Amino acid sequence: MEIAPLIISLVYQALTAGAFLVLCSIGLMIVLGMMNIINLAHGEIMMIGAYVASLLVTEGLPFFLTLPFCFLVGVLVGLVIEFLFIRYLYSRILSALVLTWGLGLIIAQGALLIYGPFLPSIKIPFGSIEYGGFTYSIYQLFLIFVAALLVALIYFILQKTELGLKARATMQNPEIASTIGINRKKMFSITFAFGAGLAALAGGVLAPTTTIAPFMGTQFVAPAFITVVVGGATNIITGTLYSAGSLAAIRTPIGMYLGSFAGTVGLFFAALILIRLYPNGLASIRLFGRR
Amino acid sequence: MGPLQLFLGERDLGKQKSSLIFFLAYLVSLSIVPMVMGDYEAMNFAYFLLNVPLGLSVTLVWGYCGILSFGQIAFFGVAGYAYGIIAGNLTQLPAYEFIGIGGGILSSMLLASILAYFLFFARVENWIIPVLTLVFTLLLETFLAQTAGYQWKIGNVLLGGYNGMTGIPSMRLPWIDDPLYGYSFYYYVLTFVALVFVALRIFINSKYGSIIVAIREDSLRTEVLGYDIRKWQFFVFVLAAALASVSGILYVQWGNYITPSQLGLVAAAQPVIWAAIGGRSSLLAVSLSTIGMTWFSFTLSTQGNQLSLIFIGAAAVASIMLFRDGIVLTLWNNVGKLGKLFEKK
Repeated sequence: MEIAPLIISLVYQALTAGAFLVLCSIGLMIVLGMMNIINLAHGEIMMIGAYVASLLVTEGLPFFLTLPFCFLVGVLVGLVIEFLFIRYLYSRILSALVLTWGLGLIIAQGALLIYGPFLPSIKIPFGSIEYGGFTYSIYQLFLIFVAALLVALIYFILQKTELGLKARATMQNPEIASTIGINRKKMFSITFAFGAGLAALAGGVLAPTTTIAPFMGTQFVAPAFITVVVGGATNIITGTLYSAGSLAAIRTPIGMYLGSFAGTVGLFFAALILIRLYPNGLASIRLFGRR
Repeated sequence: MGPLQLFLGERDLGKQKSSLIFFLAYLVSLSIVPMVMGDYEAMNFAYFLLNVPLGLSVTLVWGYCGILSFGQIAFFGVAGYAYGIIAGNLTQLPAYEFIGIGGGILSSMLLASILAYFLFFARVENWIIPVLTLVFTLLLETFLAQTAGYQWKIGNVLLGGYNGMTGIPSMRLPWIDDPLYGYSFYYYVLTFVALVFVALRIFINSKYGSIIVAIREDSLRTEVLGYDIRKWQFFVFVLAAALASVSGILYVQWGNYITPSQLGLVAAAQPVIWAAIGGRSSLLAVSLSTIGMTWFSFTLSTQGNQLSLIFIGAAAVASIMLFRDGIVLTLWNNVGKLGKLFEKK
């Protein structure tokens, strides 16, 4: 076997795994980094995204046009959850965990009652290409592109816009941010809604790769939570990138030789060891020695 | 302080001696209840009762020590599976059920101590523990669900994959030939659970209980007072795993089977919700809410009611939003206030 195609295939698989982790976790990461809240209904909001995509595709809309609707529905759901519940729980992170878990249960079981055990699955767009004995799904390449685009977009919002400046100020010190006229409550509800929108969008783009069912969120939450725990809450962008990158590097070889479940178990043990080494998350590492 | 003073200590409902009467009445009514039922109903009621240590384990870690764990159901399941493997392989030995009970509890404690080492000695932030214990539970469920087939046979016992492990030995006492069933099983569960409850209540009111509550209130302050909080959190986590495993073992002795979905995401929610509804800072309140909630969801699910999960989710939301101290505890406190109102008049 030639070496070049093997390396390309490995890189492709690592990037696919990394993109999957970024997509699953970016919404959670933003909410955690800004508000120090973990949304345990994250998987169910991803499920909502997939449901929106599937229902609209059944209505005859082309798959790619459904994605903005996934995002919008996610934002709406996020706004409602924030308005009704989360705003009362900012200082009670553990209570927020239990509450969002209850919400997740209601959403998933509600979907089961309303739409039944399955929705029609979405056909994977594009085909695949073959190179050097390995096949590559073009849709997976598209997912890598989407993940990279999302990270770049969030970086741009955080670093280059006024909203992002306010967001970073709130993140660093909510008390002082509010004394200089930043509306902290508004920032928090925007963040939570944006995080939920990203989760639903991720659910939408991942929908063609999986079966669309009420409890489908379960398969995303384990990798998403591990990524968030390893990344830590200190910096959204570096946390996500370091964490998804290192976890993809661990998951790819294990998954290749022992199967995908072993890959996820590997992620869990890697997470235990990584938090033992870096309790504040990989985002706390300074690569270039600056602070 | 003697055990009785400790039992009536301030860290649970009922500081006054008069409330000892309430506890005794509670115990007596639990012992009388099955007498008005048939053998079969007594067996059902034993199921509600055997979940109490699982609820208490969440109360201990979350309510008293401030560590939220979604992994208690995993320790419940591991103990159940371990009991099945050990007791199922040693049926030739005398009193093999007791070896199974010991082995089941120890396996859970061992697993808990591995997890606790990584979690507490890393001094992670407090949101990481619920998230990682939840992931752990999910992975354990997925792992057990794929153990179908003969390559997953340990001695004579099949793990059984998604369908679970069947034919797990019932409880039997050495001096009685028949396995415990119906009334006899109920009283066995009641004795076991009451002993666990009393021991835990004495523990939580002892000086060790003070340290545990101090960690919940202010871990930094506790640390500068000279306590190694990592060791105490480790200890509490492993103790709670032992409590959960008592329920797991009683469960498999009750139903003779266990399936991976018994330790799945939905099942993992249950003990946390019992604790939230009962009032997580009281062992007595959670024991009541555990019996009540398991009764409620058992009734709903045996009627094939699909709304049962929605009720459970709504109960979690309601207990967080409306009753910070839990429904049972709020009721109790307000009944007390009402009583005082009458006294003044």
